[in-house]
Amino acid sequence: MVWLPVLVAALPLGGSAVAAVSVRTRRAALAAVAGAAGSLALAVVVATLAIAGTPIASAGAFVYVDSLGGFFLVTVAVVVLLASLGSSSYLAAEERSGQLSPRRVRIYFGAFGLFAASMLAAVETANLGLLFILVEAATLASVVLVPLEGRTEGLEAGWRYVIISSLGITVALVGALFLFYSASALPGSAEAHLAWPFLLAHAHQLAPTALRLGFLLGVVGYGTKVGLAPMHTWLPDAHAEAPAPASAMLSGALLNVGMYAIIRLLAIANRGLGTQYGGRTMLIFGFLSVLVGVVFMIRRRDFKRLFAYSSVEHMGIIAVGLGFGGLLGIYGALLHSLNHSLGKTILFLSGGSVALAYGTRRTDRLGGVVGTMPWTGALLFGAALAILGAPPFGLFISEFTIVRAGLTGDQPWLVALLLGFLAVAFLAFIRTVGGMLLGAPRGVHREPYHGAPEHLLAVVPSAVALVALLGLGLLIPSWLNSLLTQSVALVR
Amino acid sequence: MQELTLASPGGAILGLDAVLILLSALACLGSKLFDRYLTYYALQSVLLAVAAATAAYLERDAALWVLAGLTLALKGWAIPTAARHWLVQRLDLKRDSGSTAGLSLTLVMGTALCAFAYLAVSPERLAHGLLAASVVPISTAVVLLGALAMVVRRHMVAQLIGWLIMENGVFLGAITLTASFPLIVEVGIFFDLLAGFLIMLAMTTGLAERVSPLPAGRSGQDS
Repeated sequence: MVWLPVLVAALPLGGSAVAAVSVRTRRAALAAVAGAAGSLALAVVVATLAIAGTPIASAGAFVYVDSLGGFFLVTVAVVVLLASLGSSSYLAAEERSGQLSPRRVRIYFGAFGLFAASMLAAVETANLGLLFILVEAATLASVVLVPLEGRTEGLEAGWRYVIISSLGITVALVGALFLFYSASALPGSAEAHLAWPFLLAHAHQLAPTALRLGFLLGVVGYGTKVGLAPMHTWLPDAHAEAPAPASAMLSGALLNVGMYAIIRLLAIANRGLGTQYGGRTMLIFGFLSVLVGVVFMIRRRDFKRLFAYSSVEHMGIIAVGLGFGGLLGIYGALLHSLNHSLGKTILFLSGGSVALAYGTRRTDRLGGVVGTMPWTGALLFGAALAILGAPPFGLFISEFTIVRAGLTGDQPWLVALLLGFLAVAFLAFIRTVGGMLLGAPRGVHREPYHGAPEHLLAVVPSAVALVALLGLGLLIPSWLNSLLTQSVALVR
Repeated sequence: MQELTLASPGGAILGLDAVLILLSALACLGSKLFDRYLTYYALQSVLLAVAAATAAYLERDAALWVLAGLTLALKGWAIPTAARHWLVQRLDLKRDSGSTAGLSLTLVMGTALCAFAYLAVSPERLAHGLLAASVVPISTAVVLLGALAMVVRRHMVAQLIGWLIMENGVFLGAITLTASFPLIVEVGIFFDLLAGFLIMLAMTTGLAERVSPLPAGRSGQDS
């Protein structure tokens, strides 16, 4: 069955291949969408198989999909599909307006496919060495996307992104080395000593100092990818400067891939060192990220930067959930990562349409967007409410679950702190986005999309995602529930 | 590899080699000329290839021979040559003046990091006198020195070389601590390094055409 997960990761490469050989950009977009749709369909099958029984695994855990991997696989695949649909309309509009040359559009789709494939593959492996390689590959592919719109700021943002991420990820590799070393006294092959299932099963026998060091270095290293403060400094620049669908991929998928790596390490640490050590580490990074995210959201005038800092905040919330631990904490954290991905993808895709139409990302030069672009405006408004944790959207449920986990723990005052931060975030976010969406009309609007297909592509995927987000607030399907509860059992 | 003592001939060669690798990292940190950065990096990579070859000989491991060859060809020759041609000569880089800390302060910090590596990272299950017990702190120190170069230097090319040195440190650790690190993983890491180098090369030249001097360390312009 190993071919099935491999196929999931390989399908988006079709888009890259078409972009490499075809002159027509529409064909590349079509191939990207087809690949993403195929990946999602197969990812659901893989996740279902993972729920049903034993993990789909190869020797050395180079391919390894259990329920945790299946859950992240589906999350990433959903974001990839939404972003590829959004890319088709966004890139067509940018090419028509002359902002992107046809050559750059092809580079975009080429890198997009590689980016998607390496992320999908990263959550399908439990070999810590291969995980590092794939996360770094995803970073490198996405670095190509960031400066594509050709601004000097974009190149600078891309540079900051590649240099900070590479530094961070190298730290994670040192962490993997220490974990490998912590297992070196145990029997088994070298491949096994890098394989997560083996390390988890023998967590008690791992050398504790090396394990602690490996875990900490891993959290710092992959935390750089996740955007945990204080390693988040690349994130706002890269998210703001990248083309909007690429920003959606960064925020909705790549951050989750980093979190996936951290969760795998946390599971080993929880088993081998007791839950308190890992939990406390996650709480420290989590609260710091929430604080940094919220503080920088105040009076942010570039809406893509606002969304980016909101991502830092939400990654912090997920880390806090993992830190609270237990069934509720981890369940809430996992659910929150799915919800956040959906919400942030809608925000970046719809925000991208606004930026295209008005030629600016500055909210003080925007007003009354709902009047001129009713669908996009409504989607932005709905997604903003969702991302702020307003009921009845999914993020309300997941944040509520994390809060309940905190209340059952031994430090309930932390919950008060978290709620305080969330309240400030709500005010800061809604003030900026509200003024831009409602308010008096401002800015010069020029319709970016031509023809019904482009209009539909720009709106319908996000609308479907928003409905899904609403649905997740009302009911968690039993399929998702079993995926989540089984994942929690692996991490606790 | 872990049972290798410092007193054995192989261990002595590896130990000495590791010290030279650390010294080349320090030399790079203490230099101010772009050309020298590359010379020291190339030297360090050749030393790393020697370490890998020694380990390969001791372990009779074909995979490690492959690794030694790759290290020599790519890190010892291809990357420094390409960087010298595309970056140093084409952009006419001479003296690196963009640093947030003075040279002496940088070296003091570097030495402090070496000491930190020695105090903080001592593999607890390894007896004193074993090779790995002394080389792991050295490789950690090389990683930290590379990171330091990336942090204090503002020029993109200097940051790039800092990253390459960091990577060399990781490799030194991987060779001595765990000679059995799976080959597929090592080759993948190599591939990433190469792709990363090429992307950074392209970005550096792309930025150099727009602005000079390259303002990589400019703080984020939050608006």
